[in-house]
Amino acid sequence: MIILIINNVVILAGIGGFLAMLLVIADYFLANYGDCNIDINQGKKKFTVKGGSSLLSSLAEKMVFIPSACGGKGTCGLCKVKLLKEIGPVLPTEKPYLDKDELKNGVRLSCQIKVKQDIFIHIPEALFSIKKFRGKVERIIDYTYDIKGVYIKLDEPKNIEFKAGQYVQLESKKYGKVKQVVSRAYSMSSPPFEEDKIELIIRLVPDGIMTNYVHKQLHQGDDISFTGPYGEFFIRDSKADMIFVAGGSGMAPFKSILADLEKQQSKRRIVYLFGARTEKDLFLVDEMRHFEDTLADFTFIPVLSQADEDSDWKGKKGYIPPILKDYVKDPDNTEGYLCGSPGLLAVTEKEMHKLGIKNVYYDSFG
Amino acid sequence: MKQTPKEEMIQERLKPGVVTLEGFLGQDKRHYHEIISEDLDRLKSLGKSHGDIAERIQYFTDQAFEFADEAGIVDDHYEIQYQTERGKLISPFMDNVFVPKGFVRLTNLKNGVTVEWTPLNIYMIKQYGFFEGKGSTHRVEPDKLIKAIF
Ligand SMILES: Cc1cc2nc3c(=O)[nH]c(=O)nc-3n(C[C@H](O)[C@H](O)[C@H](O)COP(=O)(O)OP(=O)(O)OC[C@H]3O[C@@H](n4cnc5c(N)ncnc54)[C@H](O)[C@@H]3O)c2cc1C
Ligand code: FES
Repeated sequence: MIILIINNVVILAGIGGFLAMLLVIADYFLANYGDCNIDINQGKKKFTVKGGSSLLSSLAEKMVFIPSACGGKGTCGLCKVKLLKEIGPVLPTEKPYLDKDELKNGVRLSCQIKVKQDIFIHIPEALFSIKKFRGKVERIIDYTYDIKGVYIKLDEPKNIEFKAGQYVQLESKKYGKVKQVVSRAYSMSSPPFEEDKIELIIRLVPDGIMTNYVHKQLHQGDDISFTGPYGEFFIRDSKADMIFVAGGSGMAPFKSILADLEKQQSKRRIVYLFGARTEKDLFLVDEMRHFEDTLADFTFIPVLSQADEDSDWKGKKGYIPPILKDYVKDPDNTEGYLCGSPGLLAVTEKEMHKLGIKNVYYDSFG
Repeated sequence: MKQTPKEEMIQERLKPGVVTLEGFLGQDKRHYHEIISEDLDRLKSLGKSHGDIAERIQYFTDQAFEFADEAGIVDDHYEIQYQTERGKLISPFMDNVFVPKGFVRLTNLKNGVTVEWTPLNIYMIKQYGFFEGKGSTHRVEPDKLIKAIF
């Protein structure tokens, strides 16, 4: 009797599974959703797409790039958009990424929604200026044992417009065990006037998906893509003194900013404190010394926290926060610009505020 | 074992190359439920809960954050360094939580035991009692951890 029941259950489950598979296959091959309209921000942008693809890829096809770090696989939860008209129930693949308020307000994961009808959405207006760029790796430089400079020559579009200090979202390709495209933020270290290429400075993070791709898989001549520009980390237009503080790959935006200030023949007083553990972690020192020659009032100060006992290092030793006070003339007339690890940033920002510097700028890592 | 669709999706996300490069299971072929329940049993026999452990390693991580990526001493005999990294990582448990990237290394100078963890380890231990599978690059062995931090 029990065997008979089990048999029936297995047969029914099999039929159910087969029918579900048929439905998926039929949807894939036969469903024709025709043309569907997508309306963004109540008519600010409108276009027609062929139904059937995900909202994320339909938007990308029309050059609207919603943030994504997993290439549309439903594993990063970043591709949120707000639906202004309901189009059906939230999918089980979306729910875990949406909080109560988001669910109530019609927020959905654009990579999980299929365009089958007209769709009305709201997205931050800043996303309208984001473009997707394709290019080729022109050159890879070993700056240190764990930091590489990657030059990308642009193919499509051929030029990029950005403010020195901004970043892009670099996209990887599938490799080894990584079966999906991932994207990560990297500051542009080349200046905005070199419009046909960008440079990124990328530090290897042990076990990092993207940094292992860049350091171990990427070669000169490879195709690569990114979206951008993003971010609010750029020099404020004023006459105030500036103190730059960076560590490791945090050098990237300052390389771009300094070349830009050099071109503008800036007269502002700038002190740049760069933190590293040992001399092996220092790079681009000659370029920084070059800016000391060409900029009106620029000083570059590398600071080593673990200078080798037997090295003949004659520069500063120790940590940056305690020595900051030596370089601040008038806190009311000083701006702080920080880029590097969150640990260095937090302690430096606190110290700057203690010294009376109110305007401190950095990229948030949210 | 019967799994809900969400559990199936979580098990997928724990594999290499989805959320992290090496994944969270190592050579462990077991379901994550089994990994969690074996570790929780072991903790019970050692007289600790996953909440106690998470609270303690969060405490050390917060203290080390103040050292701006350099090594420092906490409470006389814990040498600790937190290499903070820019960016956040999503939890594989499909709970809409993003956690900072980075690594923490702690050595108990009294007994010489060294352990490592990441902010994601703290979150997964606190929320789910998940110490990762055997052989995973970031598995935190409960026995060793307890020796080092208490
Ligand atoms: C605005 C912005 C600008 C940036 N600019 C730059 C830049 O110019 N240069 C630069 O080098 N970086 C930059 N970054 C950082 C960059 O975006 C990436 O976060 C960084 O390169 C690491 O990416 P990844 O994919 O290699 O690491 P990921 O794979 O995303 O994460 C690695 C982390 O995951 C954790 N982890 C891995 N496996 C496990 C496990 N099994 N268990 C527990 N935890 C685990 C560890 O904490 C590790 O630190 C920037 C970030 C932001 C937000
Ligand atoms: S793009 Fe990553 S979840 Fe949608």
